[in-house]
Amino acid sequence: MPRLSIDGVEIEVEKGTTVLEAARALRKDVPHYCWHPGLSVAGNCRICLVEVEGMRGVQISCNLPAADGMKVRTSSDAAVKARADVMELLLINHPLDCPICDQAGECKLQEYSFELGSGRSRFDVPKNHKRKAVEFSDRVVFDAERCIVCTRCVRFTKEITGTDELTVVQRGDRSEIDTAPGKSLTGNYQMNVVDICPVGALTSADFRFRSRVWFMEQTRTVCSSCSRGCNVLAGTRWNRVLRLVPAENAEVNRWWMCDRGRLDIREPAAEDRLAGARLMRGGVQVGVEPGEAVAALAAALAEARAAGGAGLFGLVSARLTTEEAWLARLLLRDHAGSPNLDLLPRTGEADGFLETADRNPNTEGVRAAGIAPAVGGFGLDGFRAAAEAGRVKWAVLVGEDLSGRPEDLAALAKVPFTAFIGSHDRGAAATATVVLPGATWAEKDGVLVNGDGRAQRIRPLVRCPGDARPESRILLDLLAAAGAAGAPDPSSSPAFLVKAMAAAVPALAGLTLGGLGERGAPLRGRTGVARVGTGVEV
Amino acid sequence: MSDRPGYRTVERPALTLADRLVFPAILKGMAITASHIFEKKVTMQYPEEKWTLPEYYRGVPSLVMDDENREKCVACSLCEFVCPPRAITIVPEERPGGGREEKQPAVFDIDMLRCIFCGYCEEVCPEEAIFMSKEYEVVGRSREEMVFHKDRLYEIGGVRKDPHRKWKNADDEARAQGRGHGHGPAQV
Repeated sequence: MPRLSIDGVEIEVEKGTTVLEAARALRKDVPHYCWHPGLSVAGNCRICLVEVEGMRGVQISCNLPAADGMKVRTSSDAAVKARADVMELLLINHPLDCPICDQAGECKLQEYSFELGSGRSRFDVPKNHKRKAVEFSDRVVFDAERCIVCTRCVRFTKEITGTDELTVVQRGDRSEIDTAPGKSLTGNYQMNVVDICPVGALTSADFRFRSRVWFMEQTRTVCSSCSRGCNVLAGTRWNRVLRLVPAENAEVNRWWMCDRGRLDIREPAAEDRLAGARLMRGGVQVGVEPGEAVAALAAALAEARAAGGAGLFGLVSARLTTEEAWLARLLLRDHAGSPNLDLLPRTGEADGFLETADRNPNTEGVRAAGIAPAVGGFGLDGFRAAAEAGRVKWAVLVGEDLSGRPEDLAALAKVPFTAFIGSHDRGAAATATVVLPGATWAEKDGVLVNGDGRAQRIRPLVRCPGDARPESRILLDLLAAAGAAGAPDPSSSPAFLVKAMAAAVPALAGLTLGGLGERGAPLRGRTGVARVGTGVEV
Repeated sequence: MSDRPGYRTVERPALTLADRLVFPAILKGMAITASHIFEKKVTMQYPEEKWTLPEYYRGVPSLVMDDENREKCVACSLCEFVCPPRAITIVPEERPGGGREEKQPAVFDIDMLRCIFCGYCEEVCPEEAIFMSKEYEVVGRSREEMVFHKDRLYEIGGVRKDPHRKWKNADDEARAQGRGHGHGPAQV
């Protein structure tokens, strides 16, 4: 184990650790463009120069293995001067178009230039111009002038996705990143090259010019597009989610996320969002105060409870938070007595990297909260037959509208009383007896349990439209209106709800909202660590 | 007498006979007024007459076009960021035409009810696209009318002839080197 000193601080590191990594372990951020913790070392940008006692000149710390007795100085005059010279060279042909560049505000060129740059260029020859606004695909736009040819993107396609679409063409100051003629970037992970680009050369077609980054509120939350539960940083402005970028979590998604999850940000602001409660009166839905709809549904549940609960079917979405699923179970099973609870499975194809086959973000949590058909009850599979036989008198859909499932909707039409609690005016919302406007994942605080048994916290990013509220609040009101025994108080905080749930559900014992921190924690008895490969082996 | 320490009651002065007659004081006042009739007039007949404003005067902020009638603003949003009362709203969009200034404001609003005429927007603008005009008569019949949209801001600002043409110069330079926009072969 080599022991070295960095700026006078001793540190012992694993053999093979580079000086840059050792410095980072000491929280000394040596500037770097081409080095990325998830990619191989290229050592081409030369900005990570440090001075090492006994070695001639300055060394690039990203490719210098730590050796025993090494004495490194990261901010000596020689190192800083050398970096400033590198900075000056990198900016010779840079267009300096920060006012129109999407990277401005989170650009390493800006940061290091501010730190090391002189503020004026000594080069008065015309800049070497290159291609701009090159569409590498319909999702990624390339600007060759801004590029510093650090090859992070090239290494990403080579080492992580294995698609090998990008390469460096030409030489010297004419070097550019390019695809093969007529080819484009492909696949579900191509937008990661936008995130890892340290400058504004690669930009997202979806986010391009939408907002300067410093105007956005950045919130760490969890993607809800599949059961991987990738950690993300959501950028919001004007009460809209403008972009999702991956947030590092070594146990879940490392530094990456898929494009499908990243682009799945339109739902909160969709045209058909439900903003008000509705009640069916004389065959027509009329808008009512939410309290009235809650009372109507509570009255129907009282009837169902009086009838023993066997005629009540509850469909609880696996996109809801675990607390919401638990509250739904308290209401529909523990109070109203329904044995017929189920969730709606969504499946796709697992790609062996991040995207999983289970496209619901919280199947594990919802199952743990007790959403499953009881003995003698039926689930979603049995619902159609039961409804057609007239055995279902009441159906409560929480977070699922059955859109895109015409057979289930036809069966639902045979149920005398249906209630829909959810976010969009699709499918069941149009015909339900009671409609209560709910929230999307971007509007609630709660716990999702990913496919590896890791509990992670999602956070509210935007406000609900109109009367819409998170399902947890609606369910708490329903429990209070129904007079359910042992239900949490309607004013319970998200943290208290989790505590109450953890105390009631053995599978979730010990869970607290605060204990999840930024990166989540495995449920008891689970590893909570992603089991799949994280990129192709080189 | 007040019994609070540090306070004392002041007696009212007694009125003299002249004070009590009132008229001497009125005559005195009229004499002062009359003496001003013969002095040089200082009143300006606004709005028929107007001030000549100094060069540094900061009126309504306005947007300017360059001498080829192109929008100088590239929607960098620095003015929106720096504006202390948050009077500016910008929604950027892609600029058509394939020039190097790829961005332009789709919406550029300044709420003149909020604007405090501090001039920070002019100072921060990297494109020299926003200027404090000499316009100071800001009136409207509603709050909505007091939000100046892009077209009105350009109307106030007009065209500014100055040699600042960094995007166009870069475009010309690139054309001379045979470098275009969009997907073409990399440089040979």
